[in-house]
Amino acid sequence: MAFLLSRLVHALIVLLVTGFISFVIIRYVGDPVNNMVGQAATLAEREDMRRALGLDDPAVLQFARFLGDVLSGNLGVSYRYGEPVAKLLLERAPASLELSLCAMLLAAGLGIPLGVWTAINRGSALTRILLTLSVIGVALPTFLVGIILILIFSVQLGWLPAFGRGEVTDLGGWTTGLLTIGGLKALILPSLTLGLFQMTLIMRLVRAEVSEVLRSSFIKFAIARGVPRRKVYYRHALGNALLPVMTIVALQFGNLFAFSIIVETVFQWPGLGLLIIQAIQFADVPVLSAYLVLISGVFALLNLTVDILSPIIDPRLRVASHRGRVA
Amino acid sequence: MTDISRHSPSLWSRLLRDGLAHELFRSHIAVLSALVVLCLFIVAIGAPVLAPYNAFDPGSANVADARLPPGAHGLFGDYYSLGTDPQGRDLLSAMMYGLRTSLAVGFGSVALAALVGVTLGLFSGYFGGITDALIMRIADIQLSLPPILVALLIDGVTLTLLGRSQHDLLAIPTVILAISTSLWVQFARTVRAQVQVEKGKEYILAAKITGVGTRRMLTSHILPNVMAPVLVIATVNLAVAILVESTLSFLGVGVPPTQPSLGTLVRIGNEFLFSGDWWMSILPGGLLITVALSINLLGDWLRDRLNPTMRTL
Repeated sequence: MAFLLSRLVHALIVLLVTGFISFVIIRYVGDPVNNMVGQAATLAEREDMRRALGLDDPAVLQFARFLGDVLSGNLGVSYRYGEPVAKLLLERAPASLELSLCAMLLAAGLGIPLGVWTAINRGSALTRILLTLSVIGVALPTFLVGIILILIFSVQLGWLPAFGRGEVTDLGGWTTGLLTIGGLKALILPSLTLGLFQMTLIMRLVRAEVSEVLRSSFIKFAIARGVPRRKVYYRHALGNALLPVMTIVALQFGNLFAFSIIVETVFQWPGLGLLIIQAIQFADVPVLSAYLVLISGVFALLNLTVDILSPIIDPRLRVASHRGRVA
Repeated sequence: MTDISRHSPSLWSRLLRDGLAHELFRSHIAVLSALVVLCLFIVAIGAPVLAPYNAFDPGSANVADARLPPGAHGLFGDYYSLGTDPQGRDLLSAMMYGLRTSLAVGFGSVALAALVGVTLGLFSGYFGGITDALIMRIADIQLSLPPILVALLIDGVTLTLLGRSQHDLLAIPTVILAISTSLWVQFARTVRAQVQVEKGKEYILAAKITGVGTRRMLTSHILPNVMAPVLVIATVNLAVAILVESTLSFLGVGVPPTQPSLGTLVRIGNEFLFSGDWWMSILPGGLLITVALSINLLGDWLRDRLNPTMRTL
C-alpha cells in the first residue's frame, strides 16, 4: 500500500509540474488579451479585459484557477479554430485511438509469437533474417516507412488509400472507420506504419526474456518430465516472460501518441497528432498547452497502471515489495 | 555494467590493450559500417568541395530544370546524376549539404547531451543525498516521455515564443537544444551508476586521504573511469539524434528550408509523391537510413565489445 501511495504521489507531482509548464506557456507566451480583442481596442478596453480575465491577480492565484479550469474540462479557446479546445480534442480523439489500438494489436499480435518463435529456434535462418530485419527496422524513421508504403501500395499498385480516414460512421459523437470497407482500407497503411517499430521492439524483447527463462532449471525439469513442448514454451516460458513485456507494451502505448504525430502527418489522418502539429505551426497556444496536459495525464495513468498491475501479474513482486518494507 | 572499468585505468589504455582495432577488423559488419560512417563524414565535411553544384546558391538553381529524374540533362546541358528537386537544384548536391546539416545537428545534440548528462551524473553519483534525489526525479519524469515528443514540444514552444522570422535564425541551436534535452537522461543515469561503484573503491579512498580536492577528484580520478559506457551511449544516441532531427524537419518544425537537412529534403519530396516523382523523397530517405543504420551497427558492436554482459541481448 505504501508503495502504491508513493507511486500515486509521484504521478501527481508529474501532473502538477506539467500543468505548471502548460500554465506558463498559455499565460506568458504571447499576450492572451492581444489574441482576444480586435486591432482597434483602446488601452482602457485592454485593461478592462485584463481585469475581467483575472490576469492582474497574483500568479499563484492564476495557476490555481488554471488547474480548476483544467479539472472542469475548460481548456480555453483555440486561436486558430475559434472553438473550445476540449471540443476539438474530443472530436479528434476517436481517430487517434482507433489508429493506436489497431497498431498496438498488430504489434503485439505479431511481435509476441515471433519473439517466442525466434527464441526457440535460435540458430535457424529465418531467425537470423527476422533479427536482421528488426535491426534495420530500428534505423527506419517512421515517416520514411509511411512514404515507402504509400509509394508501393497507393501510387504504384493503387490498392489502398494514402490519406484520410475513408468513410466514417458517426456513433453519437464517436466517429468510427471500423464499420465500412473504405474506413478499414484506410486504416491498413497507417496502422502498419505505426505498428512496425513497436512490433520489432516487442519481438526483440519477448525473444530476450523467453531466452532468459528457457535457460532456467524449471524449464529443463518440465521438458525432462515430458510436458509437451508447446505447453512448456507458450505457457511456462512465455508466462514468466510476460511481465516485462507487458510493462513495455503499456508504456509503448504512450509512445504511440508521439509516433502518431508523425504517422498522422504522413497520412493526413484527422487525429490528435495532426491537430497538434498544426497547432505548433500556427502558434495555437491553447491547443498546445492542453495537449501537454493531456499527454502528461495519459503517461501518468499508464505508469500508474503498470505499477498497480505488476504485482497482480507476478506474485514474486508482492513478496519483494513486502520484504522491502520490512527492511 | 560495472566490470568494464574495474580492471582498467582508462578507456583508451583499455582500447589499446585489448586490441580494439584488431577486433574491429575481425568483425565484417563492424568494418563495413565503420567504412560507411567514415565515407559519410568525408562527404559531409567536404560537401562544399565535393558537391557538383552549390545547393545553397540560388544562381545555380534553374527552375526550368525542376523535378528532373535521375540521370537527366538540364536545359543548359547540366548533368544531374540523381535528378533535381522542385526548385531545380541538383539533388545529389542538396543531399550532400543535407547530410552535413543532419550530422552537424546530430553531433551538436549528442555533445551537449553528453556534457550535461555526464556532469549531472557525476554530481548525482558523487554527492548523493538531495542533489541525487532531485536530479534523478527530473530524469524519471523526462524518461517517461519519448524523446521525439520532448524535442517536438520544446521546439514547438520555442517557435511559438520566437515568432517565425527569428526562429529561422535560431532554428539550428533550438533543434540542438531540444534534442539534447531529450537525450541527457541516459548519460546521467549511466554515469551515476558507474560513479557509485567507483566511489567505494580503494584508489578513491587513497586519493581522499592524500588530500585531493573534490574538483580534482571528479575530473581526473572518477571521470576517466566512467567514460567507457559514455562512448557507447554517445554512438547509439548519435543515430537517435539524427533520426529525431530528420523527423522534426520532416514535420516542418526542425531546421529551416534555407538550410535543409535530409529530413527537410524528404519533406519537400513528399509533396510530389503522388505525381510519381519518387527520387526526391526516396533518395534522401535512403541516405538517412544508411546513416542511421551504419552508426547503429557500429554502436552495437562497440557495446558488445566494451560490455560483454550485455551481449546476450
